[in-house]
Formats: sequence, C-alpha cells, structure tokens
Amino acid sequence: MNLFVISQYVLMAALAIFAVATIRIATRKTIAMGLVGLSGFTIAVATFLILLQNLYGIAFCRDIAMALLIMDMVGTIAFARVLRGYARG
Amino acid sequence: MDDIITIIKSIILLVAAVLVILTAIGIIRYKDDMERVLYARIHILGVIDVACMVALLVLGEPLLAGVYFILTPFASHAIANGYYYGEDKDD
Repeated sequence: MNLFVISQYVLMAALAIFAVATIRIATRKTIAMGLVGLSGFTIAVATFLILLQNLYGIAFCRDIAMALLIMDMVGTIAFARVLRGYARG
Repeated sequence: MDDIITIIKSIILLVAAVLVILTAIGIIRYKDDMERVLYARIHILGVIDVACMVALLVLGEPLLAGVYFILTPFASHAIANGYYYGEDKDD
C-alpha cells in the first residue's frame, strides 16, 4: 500500500465526516438551510464515488457522480427560485 | 519507491482532506440563533468546493471538476438570492 492509496483513504474518511455534518445542517427547519446542506452533501458524495472508482475499479461510479452533480445544481436552482417566490419574478 | 508526481498528488489529497475536516467543523460551529447564519454557511461551503475540485483534478477527472467549477457559483447565488428575497426568515 503506497502513499497515494493511503491519502485516498484519508480523504474518504474526511468526506464521510463532512457528509454527517452536512446531513445535520440539512435537517434544520428552514428550506434554505436544507439547500445548503444538500449542496455540500452532493459534492462530498461525488468525490467519494470518484475515490471508490479509483480504489476498487468500479467504472460506473464516474457516471453516477456526473449525474449527481448536474441534477443537484438544477434542483438547487429550481428550488431556490421557488423559495424566492413567483410574484417577484 | 514512489515517484515525485505521486508524492505531490498524495500531499494535495491530504491537504484537501484537512480542508474538508475544517469545513465540517466550521459548518456546524455556528449556532442557529445567530443572525443571517445562512450566508456564513454558504461562504464556508466555498472551501470544500475548491478542495473537492482540486481533489477531482488530482484524481484525473477534469470534466467533473470543470462542470462543478462552472455550476457551483450559480447554485450558491441562487440559494442566497432566494433567501434574501423570500419569505423564509425563521433562522
């Protein structure tokens, strides 16, 4: 096990801790706080999936990460638009 | 013996891991009764955005990093804009 693999495992552990913190943020009572938490959770999961692909050779993790990132951005922008309100345009 | 490129990549990944841990501490540190804490949390999320982009570049995924680099300012702006003009003020 070389240094690069060890550093990948360290980053995976850090991302897991960060994912727990963002879940805690996402379960606050306001909508905007949920959006912030999910935005952080998504990039953590996407990077985690890329690390999984590099470590274990699971090729489709890259496609899942790409779809997750794009759909998170679209969903965040759409929900923020709803949060702003239709009347203000 | 690892070559110098692998060692540099490993160091970059370890620095990204430290930044991720610091972000996790920072994002849950502020109390919810603080005024306008949402903007502070969006600001803190910028740290992990950059850390994960650098990690994705090191891991050989420039397309993913580029897509995230382009899209994430729009999402952060949308959240802050929606919170500023919206009716959801119960923080």
